[in-house]
Amino acid sequence: MLNDAAQAALAGLKEAGIDFVSGLPDGWQRNLHELIDADPDIRYVPVCNEGVGFSVCAGAWLGGHKTALIMENSGLRVAAEYIARISLGCGVPVVLLLSYRGDLGDTEHWAIPHAIVVEPLLKALRIPYQIVRHRADLRATIKRAQRLSEAQLQPVAVLISGDCIWED
Amino acid sequence: MALERYDALTRLAAHLPKDALMMSTYIGAVSFEWGAITEEHPQTAQLGQMGDVVGMAVGLALALPHRKVACLDGDGSVLMELGQLVVMGQEAPDNLVVFVIDNGVYESIGSGKSGPRPTATAGKTDLALLARGSGVPYAVNVDTAEALEKELKLAFSQKGCRFINIKVLPGHARVAPRQSDGFENKYRFVRYVEGLEGKQILHLARQDRQLMKK
Repeated sequence: MLNDAAQAALAGLKEAGIDFVSGLPDGWQRNLHELIDADPDIRYVPVCNEGVGFSVCAGAWLGGHKTALIMENSGLRVAAEYIARISLGCGVPVVLLLSYRGDLGDTEHWAIPHAIVVEPLLKALRIPYQIVRHRADLRATIKRAQRLSEAQLQPVAVLISGDCIWED
Repeated sequence: MALERYDALTRLAAHLPKDALMMSTYIGAVSFEWGAITEEHPQTAQLGQMGDVVGMAVGLALALPHRKVACLDGDGSVLMELGQLVVMGQEAPDNLVVFVIDNGVYESIGSGKSGPRPTATAGKTDLALLARGSGVPYAVNVDTAEALEKELKLAFSQKGCRFINIKVLPGHARVAPRQSDGFENKYRFVRYVEGLEGKQILHLARQDRQLMKK
């Protein structure tokens, strides 16, 4: 994503009190992963599978952290199994930051299936979500997502696209 | 002599320190037996199901690095998501010890005329070897009471990230199934951790709390 969008996302995470992040880097959010990895206030746990990342976040929340999982929207398909088991089975708050590959503006044919699946899958998992296409909205949306996630003890997702990614 | 699961779990419960936390599977006979042996003490979170218990234990251990965290899972569950061993190996929390009850079968689904359906550990797969290959610094198979006792003493008297795969015979004890679901178990465990650690984890009414302070 654009560097000022990545900075806004990091600010949103920190202002939300999120101090534990897991995830699998993707082409759009790689620079956000780099910022988080370098941030002394956030424990960053990279994983090779988004489902494992969700389980790790759930465990960290049980120990008192506020958590986020950062991944490409394709990763939601992988994580869905563990989101269903853990969150629909007992209820755990995790903020999900998803790059919205396949959204308007994308140039890559392989990203199209990711866009087709992601919103129906979020609905199937009963995960509230908001699409952020304006950089100026990113910081506050992440904070609000965390507040709702903590109130309902379920994941809340932020889908990132538009001018967070493109300068056109 | 080969180990029975109930015996192995009884030995584990006897060694588990009072101030430790346990992340356990909440499905299957292993969870019912553990619940019966420990009288469902809230130091155990029975929240994971298949393929997520070790991952949750890694997260819990990283969140509370000063506290011993144990994990209780089954072979079928670990096999479902081997990526959990990778994050365990990469992070290697020195307060985490994972115990896998490896009976080589999917016992909780029942068995037909041909007996219980085998897991891959009944074939060529070695979970301790997979854990070591994933970077877990200490991973062993045990199949006798003596070997298990030795590992339990080490695990709870020393620091170190450990993976103990306990080979047991198929078969289950006659205990009552647990009557609580994942939601009840979560609240009970989180409240227990809040008391143990002296910190608030659940924040369910932030504005109301501020209002009541005025």
